[in-house]
Amino acid sequence: MPIVARSIALSAALIACAAVESAALAAQPATPASTPARTPAALAVHKDLGKPPAGVTDLKFHDIFKTPVGDKGLEPSATLLALDGKRVRMVGYMVYQQPEPRGMFLLSPLPAEISDEDEPLADDLPPSVVAVEIAGAANRPVPLLPGLIRISGVLHVGARTDTASGRIGAVQIALDAPIARALLGARSAPARPAGAGAR
Amino acid sequence: MRTDRLIRNALSHALLAALALASTDVLAAKISRLTPPSELFASNNANGPVISRFLQGQRFDLQATVQPDAGLTITDFYFSVDGSTTNPPTIDANYKLSYPLGNRIGRVDESASDASCIDATSGKTTGKSGCKLVAGLPGNTVVVSQRAYASYQAGVHRLKVVATQSDGSRISAEGNFEIVAPADGYAKAKNIIVFLGDGMGATHRTAARIMAKGYAQGKAKAPLAMDTFPYTSMVMTSSLNSIVTDSAPGMQNYVTGNKAENNQEGVFPDDTLDAFDNPRVEYLSEYLHNLQGKSLGVVTTADVFDATPASMAIHTSARGNGTGIVDQFLDDRAQTGLAVLMGGGRKWFLPNASNSVSPQPVNGSQRRKANDYVLSDDIVNGWGVARGKLDPERDLIADFQGAGYAYAPDNAGLNEAFKHGTPNKLLGLFAYSNMNVSYDKIAARRGDSTVVDAFGFPDQPLLEEMTDKALQVLAKNSNGFVAMIEGASIDKQAHLMDTDRWIHDVIEFDRAIAVAKKFAQNNPDTLVIVTADHECSGAAILGAATASAADLAATPNSGTRYVGTYEAAKFPKYVIAADGYPQSTLVDNKMLIGYGANADRYETWLPNLFPTKDTQQPFPPAQSPSDPSSRNKDVGYFVAGQVPGDQAVHTATDIPLSAYGASAAQFHGVIDNTDVFFKLASAAMGQ
Repeated sequence: MPIVARSIALSAALIACAAVESAALAAQPATPASTPARTPAALAVHKDLGKPPAGVTDLKFHDIFKTPVGDKGLEPSATLLALDGKRVRMVGYMVYQQPEPRGMFLLSPLPAEISDEDEPLADDLPPSVVAVEIAGAANRPVPLLPGLIRISGVLHVGARTDTASGRIGAVQIALDAPIARALLGARSAPARPAGAGAR
Repeated sequence: MRTDRLIRNALSHALLAALALASTDVLAAKISRLTPPSELFASNNANGPVISRFLQGQRFDLQATVQPDAGLTITDFYFSVDGSTTNPPTIDANYKLSYPLGNRIGRVDESASDASCIDATSGKTTGKSGCKLVAGLPGNTVVVSQRAYASYQAGVHRLKVVATQSDGSRISAEGNFEIVAPADGYAKAKNIIVFLGDGMGATHRTAARIMAKGYAQGKAKAPLAMDTFPYTSMVMTSSLNSIVTDSAPGMQNYVTGNKAENNQEGVFPDDTLDAFDNPRVEYLSEYLHNLQGKSLGVVTTADVFDATPASMAIHTSARGNGTGIVDQFLDDRAQTGLAVLMGGGRKWFLPNASNSVSPQPVNGSQRRKANDYVLSDDIVNGWGVARGKLDPERDLIADFQGAGYAYAPDNAGLNEAFKHGTPNKLLGLFAYSNMNVSYDKIAARRGDSTVVDAFGFPDQPLLEEMTDKALQVLAKNSNGFVAMIEGASIDKQAHLMDTDRWIHDVIEFDRAIAVAKKFAQNNPDTLVIVTADHECSGAAILGAATASAADLAATPNSGTRYVGTYEAAKFPKYVIAADGYPQSTLVDNKMLIGYGANADRYETWLPNLFPTKDTQQPFPPAQSPSDPSSRNKDVGYFVAGQVPGDQAVHTATDIPLSAYGASAAQFHGVIDNTDVFFKLASAAMGQ
């Protein structure tokens, strides 16, 4: 419990710092999530990411849970628990969501799309998907970025319900304010084609 | 008084007539849907095929969507069959009338809903979340039901619904259905085993025979186990709303005797938003459990919530509602006799305690309120089923164990469950979602566990092992059983056009069939059928490579250069290892497969090291390509797709059905998929 308390306190402090930026974020226009946007440099992935900035640790999707899977379900890895409340960097795909997400988005290890409105055929997301939250932009549509992106922010481990979709995620990241600014200012790119899944 | 009422009615009708003239949106009262479906209702064709057929005593719901005149409501309704009410009154000793089936009557409308459920301008329903009815209906529409009706009178019957409007006028509609008596003259089958090769058309079977058995001078060196079955039919697979079915009606049509719409399981379509309140039709498992005390076994290589396994026991119009589907498996075990449930899908069984104060265990649960179920009184009363609860926090594995099911999380656990005798009931959840395919499970048993390790489940049983264990459990019931055993990834890998993996899974499926055939030989009162729900991908055996394995591997973009057709194809030769599976699927002059229902892909004619992505897995390997149009991109030969999307699709092609054992002689000719139900039931009730 003391560890948890410290983590929450640290998370709160970092989120509070990010909140200073929130007023500026709320004033920016944003491309709706249904239209893919051009990936801003701050989120673009090049061949070599380089070392993470000081105070930031790389977290890989494969390091979120222990392997092999336990008899009664997944368990968080020691790596994940050790990073709770700290700043991390992750690389993944922004999930294509309908209805469009506001103030948050999902980061997935593989390209994925979900439609909560159309009763998806299955919950077509891996459990390691991370909810990326943008402080101060609760009602802002988040632009859809195609391809791999990188993000950084403060990690929170523990179940949290997204009130809009009812989806319960195991891991969240409070997005760093400069990256949030770049994301919400992203401009439109050509539309993506629709896909179809196995039935 | 009477004159006053007449005047009021006249004025009322005059007002309504004026409204109708003033707006083209104001329509006359009508019944827009009558269930069960019929051509008599849909097209007023009394000579069309009888769409809905039921066994004597098989339960099904009666339902109608009634659209009253503008400004009116529906105050009363009743159904009748051949002129007799389906809710007859009884008179007690004090001459008091009562309606014993009255608690099976239900109605759904927007009268108590939020204002947002009816568009203020058009007066039509909006279908918004939290509302009751689908969008686009007049705001005063009502869906009326009588649950769990049954008839024992064989023949075609007239169904009528009569609804009374608030002005006293009545509207009605007619349809029909047929009650079918079981066929006579066939041996009684105590046990019924349905092998369902998902997506398995004739091509899939032939390709597995070529790979597993080999050919010499035009003759197969040996038959597949399913080839040895003496009776064969061709099956028409269409669903209620399309010539091309998906897996939900594809399976449920076999075990309800009726057509469902795509995505729907054990129900007819309706006009309400609730996916669990659709008009139901009784499953073979429910019918035979109630009538004869048979057990039900469901075994699959897919996630157990998937369309095929759920279509043995679950009633829902949305095949994606995983939480409610797996809950219903357990909740209604007294109706279905569920004794065995095995496959993947552990993610739906783990508690998701969203209200937890302390950090909730990060167990990967995918249970959600949004796809769970709660049933209305009329369904609970009519069918005698559990009401259900929105409970993502439920620990369903613990509940299964509490209900007496042995739980096996892996192959070692499966063997352990039998160490001290055969359990009475068995739950096996061997993967987080879909199990790995046999190509990768066999690779692990031969020492290369890269893929199964990457998925987080290194010790998964093969389908033949699951089949053997399931039959041991089910055989304990002296009343017999109904079992469905599914080779699920024949379809899933055919969608992905991963040729080597789906052929491998047909071989796994056939080895499971061999286990069941042996069981049937030892238990002659057993009927085994092997079929598919539909064909997938329009697969075709083109011929074989004219190159060695090495040359093929060296030129992944060879395209048509090495495609040997006709006599150039010769007879591909594969080596079968001691474990019963091909030593390698990459051999000199390997068999080549094309796809007629294909999406864009890059073809190399080579095995793919990693399966194409399955995002429902906890650790989708980074090496997994996202779809066939990115797999081998810039490496293989581009083949333009003929269908939209990124996967091959199901086709409407008829599929083969093979039958063995008691009453198997019923299966011959070209039949509809719903015919299979009546043949299975006839077998169960034979002499």
